[in-house]
Order: sequence, then structure tokens, then C-alpha cells
Amino acid sequence: MATRNRTPIYRKYRDALRNVRLPDSSLPSSSSAGGGGRSGGPVIEMVNASFLRQDRSYVPLSTEDPSNAYKAKHPKSNISSTCRRNGALTFGLPPAWVDISEEISVSMQSARTKISQLVKAHAKALMPSFGDGRDDEHMIEILTQEITDLLKKSERRLHKLSTNDPSEDSTVRKNVQRSLATDLQKLSMDLRKHQSSYLKRLRQQKEGSDNVDLEMNLNGGSRSRIEDEDFDDVIVNALMTFSSSHLLPFGSYGRELVVESVNDLAQIMKDLSVLVIDQGTIIDRIDYNVQNVATSVEDGYKQLQKSSDFLINYSRLKILWVLRPSSAKFRHLVNILAVVTQVLWIGRP
Amino acid sequence: MVLISLVREYIGRMLQDISGMKVLILDSETVNIVSVAYSQSELLQKEVFLVELVDSMSKESMVHMKTIYFLRPTSENIQNLRHHLANPRFGEYHLFFSNALKASQIQVLADADEHEVVQQVQEFFADFCAIDPFHFTLNLHINHMYMLPAVVDPPSSQSFCDRIVDGIAAVFLALKRRPVIRYQRTSDVAKRIAQETAKLMYEQESGLFDFRRTETSPLLLVIDRRDDPVTPLLTQWTYQAMVHELIGINDNKVDLRNIGIGTVPQEQQEVVLSSEQDTFFKANIYENFGDLGMNIKKMVDDFQQIAKSNQNIQTIDDMAKFVNNYPEYRKMHGNVSKHVTMVTEMSKIVEERKLMLVSQTEQDLACNGGQVAAYEAVNNLLNIESVSDVDCLRLVMLYALRYEKEGPVQLMQLFNKLASRSAKYKSGLVQFLLKQAGIDKRTGDLYGNRDLLNIARNMARGLKGVENVYTQHQPLLFQSMENIIKGRLRDIDYPFIGNHFQQGRPQEVVVFIVGGTTYEEARIVALHNTANSGTRFMLGGSVVLNSKRFLKDLEEAQKIARSSNAF
Repeated sequence: MATRNRTPIYRKYRDALRNVRLPDSSLPSSSSAGGGGRSGGPVIEMVNASFLRQDRSYVPLSTEDPSNAYKAKHPKSNISSTCRRNGALTFGLPPAWVDISEEISVSMQSARTKISQLVKAHAKALMPSFGDGRDDEHMIEILTQEITDLLKKSERRLHKLSTNDPSEDSTVRKNVQRSLATDLQKLSMDLRKHQSSYLKRLRQQKEGSDNVDLEMNLNGGSRSRIEDEDFDDVIVNALMTFSSSHLLPFGSYGRELVVESVNDLAQIMKDLSVLVIDQGTIIDRIDYNVQNVATSVEDGYKQLQKSSDFLINYSRLKILWVLRPSSAKFRHLVNILAVVTQVLWIGRP
Repeated sequence: MVLISLVREYIGRMLQDISGMKVLILDSETVNIVSVAYSQSELLQKEVFLVELVDSMSKESMVHMKTIYFLRPTSENIQNLRHHLANPRFGEYHLFFSNALKASQIQVLADADEHEVVQQVQEFFADFCAIDPFHFTLNLHINHMYMLPAVVDPPSSQSFCDRIVDGIAAVFLALKRRPVIRYQRTSDVAKRIAQETAKLMYEQESGLFDFRRTETSPLLLVIDRRDDPVTPLLTQWTYQAMVHELIGINDNKVDLRNIGIGTVPQEQQEVVLSSEQDTFFKANIYENFGDLGMNIKKMVDDFQQIAKSNQNIQTIDDMAKFVNNYPEYRKMHGNVSKHVTMVTEMSKIVEERKLMLVSQTEQDLACNGGQVAAYEAVNNLLNIESVSDVDCLRLVMLYALRYEKEGPVQLMQLFNKLASRSAKYKSGLVQFLLKQAGIDKRTGDLYGNRDLLNIARNMARGLKGVENVYTQHQPLLFQSMENIIKGRLRDIDYPFIGNHFQQGRPQEVVVFIVGGTTYEEARIVALHNTANSGTRFMLGGSVVLNSKRFLKDLEEAQKIARSSNAF
């Protein structure tokens, strides 16, 4: 894979030509066309964009000096700012929506950090100890809620990226939205995975001592043991136990609620697949996307509507959150509920 | 490393070092080069949020974004780029070219870059369309040029050769190799391309091609489509080749609207057939139609099993399972319906055009002797109403190529019959084909009857009987590959350029067919490489042919040849 760098020779020509040109003949002093109206300022690098990279583990702002982290990740930024000596072109301020995408990236980043803390907390909680492990459980509970909140917050902001005017900027926004949604989805899946393995191990630990019957079936008929390794069974069964014992005062309403939220889940999975590009299809072709700029903007609008539909569905599930049980026994059920919320939450484009 | 991964790595390297939100600007050729190797979702992952064509008239300023150009170094592109640099819309400009730039082009760009927005200028040699791991194409629009002598239209002929030389050079740069070069003696255009490639690699850019030597030099063999005009004329029965022959594949995309059927569901009108992304396609790409049908049936059965379990959602349990499997299910659904649609449409065409019948005669004409029987068969098919005109033309062409000298009278009869059948295809086209690719023009032993060994082999094959009548044909390339492996490719027929000779058996061979490759040939190359004999082949051509494209090029060339004779 040979490559050839022609930059030095290009620079040489350019420098030579600069000397030939009259000092300020053709250099427009404010060539920062449309650059947010802030001309003449120093070069502004795109800080925000670096957050968007999912494969790059960004150092969180809260724990380390951001400027160092930034410099470490972007050794080129200084070079690029100095090589424009005459300051002819400033790097314009990005449009306002970039701030939103930046905020989303930041909260996703801190969610990522918290997930790793959660993983540690999980490990700790699973260690045999003489205490009742309440602190650990409390910690897990708090973390889970924080992460959920962060993800929810990012998700809500994601909607603000949608736009309906047919411009290139809207294509960019739409693509940023897609990319963030994919990252967000990955993050939630991560969380889900960690929680499922935690719950599984927790169950294995408790199996001998604690003989709480978690088996329940929706129809009350055929009983299925939750022993099979499928986590979804665990969620569902737990949900049902939860609903039957804790929502009992609400009667059948509670049970309906659960059924409905799972119904919503299915719907959401469908909605989700609209936003995240199916690999190997024509929509995932670059040439198709070049040709279809106009249509994709239209799609974006449709998705916006879809997502607002979902907000209504989502509020239903919140009820489950309000009904958080206080008994320690059901603490991990709360975690499970958080997982369900995750699943629901991903779906919102 | 194989071709697709080479292109992917080039693109990856272009994108990885530039942080932040990016715009990718391509030209009409690089958009195909990038599209076959990279996907939109992968671009999003690399923070490329906008892809534009270099000649789009967009004026919207986005100074907060960085732009990456990946262009062929053509003069139009340089002109466009000059305008872009004079009025910059983006914050930073990173210029990548798919081939070597001339010093003058760099100067023009540097001159236009008054705002000093350009950060880097690089040459990344992804200048070929890597449609499969061992198969590349250059998608040349003026492919018919290979049949015309250079004097007819010198500028077009030059640009045709230049593009091919660029493409071949890029493949070897990507592979980091400098090959010894051989060409087919009887072809002027192959000779010219071989010579110009050698000049580029050993003289003009010898520094660029100065790689660490390997024990045995790789080989570049430039051959002419006209040495094997039979392969592109045959009906194909293996999946990929068949799709291209009956529907048409364009850079791994299949447009089902091409065949004008209203029954195809909306989302399946344009589909992607890529061995890299579609495991079913990868597994069945070289399977024949019969086996393919079985495999499709199995896939559908499997899918129905899953679909059934999904339909049967009664408990919350089922629902949860469904939700979990939904993305996989959806993906599978899309894939199943894609392949089912494809195979259904192809069966319809086979039925409609009586291709089973036609193909049997075609294979006989291509592989077995027996002039009298062949004449009978072709004559009979010409009488059948439901055999389409283009299939009649193909049959007569195959007959003419085979029995050009043996039976001029019968040939005339077939010509007349064809002309009376269809006003569109004058028999002049068959004669033009003979003039282009007749026995006097060919180098290779197309029908295997010059070499005693081959005659014996053919006889043995005739005695043994063949497994499948429809797929008994082996392209001439198969024999050439065998000869290369055994070191038997004759120097007189395939001379070397300059004084760089082959020592020992080459480990890497690039065969370039001027005038276009076929998927049948790509198949034997791929199968050979999987069998892993120690010599790895790669196949490239100016286009990927099906019979339709081959005939179109032939007609185009005939038209130009006629009008140039008139002067």
C-alpha cells in the first residue's frame, strides 16, 4: 500500500507564489464567510467533534485536565493553527446545533465512565462479604439511575438535531444524529450486557440461600423456570413478579402496564431500525447517499415525527419508576427496570 | 492482501488522522471506488457527515468542517478544485489523489490556494474499483475503443490507454510490487498498454516503483478480450455471473427496475450484491443455478422457522425474545427477500427466453466438435419464435467463431436467416466480430484444437461425459493460467517487455483483459486462489462484460469504423 506525500512540494510552490503575490491584493481580510459573524479572532479548532468518536476513549472532563487531554489527542491542532500565519481564514464558529451534539457527546462520555464504575461496583457487590452489602447495592442503584438519566438526557437532546429545511447543513445534522444514535445504542447495549451478567451472577449466588419464587407467568398457566440462561426471561419474569406483588394494589392495571411496556419495546425496536443503517443494504451505499441527499432530509422529518410519538409511549413506563419499592429484596429489580428503560430509551430516534 | 482490503485501508488512512467533522468530496469515478469498498455507516463512524461530488454546485459555507478530497488527478478535477480553493467553503482542505500528480498540477493548485487552506496533498493509489477480493474493474465508458485502431480517434484512444495504465499502476503500487510485463502479441492495444505501463514503472516513476525485491517478480499479463470472444457471449449459470448476464450488476449494485418488472417490492428495487457484506451471497456466488435454488430453499425454510416463532407471540416471554432478536430478524428478512426476488426474476427470464435450450447449444458450440449437428441445432433454434433476437444473434456469432473456415456456405445461410428474423441486428455485426476476433486474429488456442494434448483432453472429456451440460465451458483464461503456473506460456505468443524476464514461477499474477472481464473468468480466478496452489491471480479489466455490453461495444465500434471508412 504505497502512498506518496506531495505536501512538501506543494508548500514550496505555495510559499514561492505567496512572495510573488502583492501583500494584500487578493487576501480578503474577512474571508470567514458565514463563520458565525466572528471574524478576525484566533483560529478556533473544532473541539466538539472529537467527542463524537466512539472508538476513541476520550478522557472525561471531570477527572482530568481537559486541556491536556485535548492536546494529547490533537497534536495537529497547534500545527494547523500556526500554519495559517496571515490569519486570512479563520475557522468559523460552528452552527448552534453543534453545541447540542457536543453536549450529547459529553454526557455520553460521562455515561461511559459511569458504566465502568458500575462494572466495578457490580464486581464488588458480588464479592462475598460479611456486611449486608447494602452500601454496594445503594451505589449500584445510584449509578444505574445516573447513567439512565444521562442517556435519557442525551437522547432527548438528539431530537433537537432534526431539522426540516432542505440544505446541506441538514444532511450533516441528520448524519450526526445517526452517528450519535448508533453510539448511544451501543452504549445502552453495553449497559444492558453488564447488568445482565451482574444479575445472572447474583441469581446464581442467591440460588442456594434465597428461595424466593421468581417464577410467574403472564397467563398463570404453564410455569417456566427462569433457569435458562436467557436474560430476557429474567427481566420479564422479574417484571412480572414485580408487577404482581408490588402493583397488586393497582390490580390488573399494573399488569397491563407491563404488557404494554413490552409491547412498546417491540415497537421501539422497529423504530430503532429505521434510524440505524442496515448494513449491506442499498441505504448503506455511499453512492446511494450522494444521490439521495434530498430524500434523506425528508426521511429525517418523518423520523422526528415518529420520535415524538414515542415520547408519549415512554411516559407510560415512567410510572414504573415512580413505584420504586423500598424493600432491599427488590433493589435489583429496580436495576432490571432500569435495563428495560434502557431498551425503551434506545428506540427513540 | 487482497484488493478490497487494500482500498479499504487507503480510505481508512485518509480519514483516521483528521479529527473532527468531515466532508468527503469525490468525483464520478472515485465515488464508485469508495462505494464498493466502504459503507455509509463506516463513514459516519469516522465522522464523515457529508459526501459530495466535486462538480456539485453547492455554495453553502461550512467553515466548521474539514474537507477531504479524494479525486482522480484529471484536468477537470484540478479545475474544479482550483475554484473551490479560491472560494473556500470549509475550514481545512486535505487533498488526496488516486494517482500520481504532475508537477504542473501541483503548481496550479498551489497558485489557487491563496487563502492557504490546504493542509496536505497526498497520493493514495486506490485508482481501481475492487468489486471482489481478486477482481477489479476500471468502468471505462469508452470501452469500445479497444477494437479500433489508434489512428481512428487518437485522443480517445490515448485517454483509454492512459486510464488503463493508471489503473494497473495503482494496483501494483497498492500491492507494493513492480512486475515483469508480458502481453498478447497479436493485439496492438495490449502491446501499447504493456509498453506504456513498463515505461511508467521503469522510467518515468521508477523511484515510486522501487520496492523491496521479492524472490520472484510478480507478473503482469495484458491480454485482449478479442482473444476469447466466446466467454462474454455465453449464457451464464453461476449466481454472480448469471445475475450480471440476465439483470446486470453495476459496481455490486443490481437495479431490478432494469428488467421492467412491476412486481418487485419497493425496497428491493435496487439491491447490493457484495460478497463482503452478504454471507449468503458469499457462500453461493459461484454456485450453479440448481444448487443455488436448493440453498435458497433452505434459507427460506430456516427463515420461516424463525418467522413462525416470531408470529407466535403469546406470552410476554415470546415478546421479549422477539425484541431481542428483532434486528437480526429484520436483517435476515431483507436478505432472504433479496435473494428470493433475484432468483425468482431470473427463473422467469430463463423460462421466457428458453435459455435452457439455447444454452445447451451454446455450450456445444463452445466446447464440443461436430459442425453438422451444431448447424442443425442453431438452425432449429432460429426457427423458434420464442427464442429472442439477441439470443439468435449470440448463437450465430458462436457458430461463426467456431466454424468460420469450415463451412462458409452454412454460415451465409445462418446470416441470411438472422437478417430475415430481425431487422435490428444486421448480419454485418457478425462479420465485424469475425474481422475483430476471427481465427486469424487470435493467439490463444480458443477451442483447444491446435495442441495435440488439448485435443486428447477434449476427447477424453467427451468420452467421460460432463457433469453439467450448462457449465462445461472453461474460459481460455483457465488454460492461460495453467500455462503460467507451469511456466509454459509461450514467449512467442506472449512476449516480455524490455529485458525483465521471469525467473521461476511467479507468486503474484495480475491478468488485465483490455476490453473487459467476465464474472465467469473472475470465478475461475477466485476458485484457483482458494485452492491455493502457490500462485495468486488477480483479474482486472476495463469493464465487467455481459453479452449485452459486449454486443453494445461491438456495435459502437462498428459504427465508428464505418463512419471513419467513409472519409
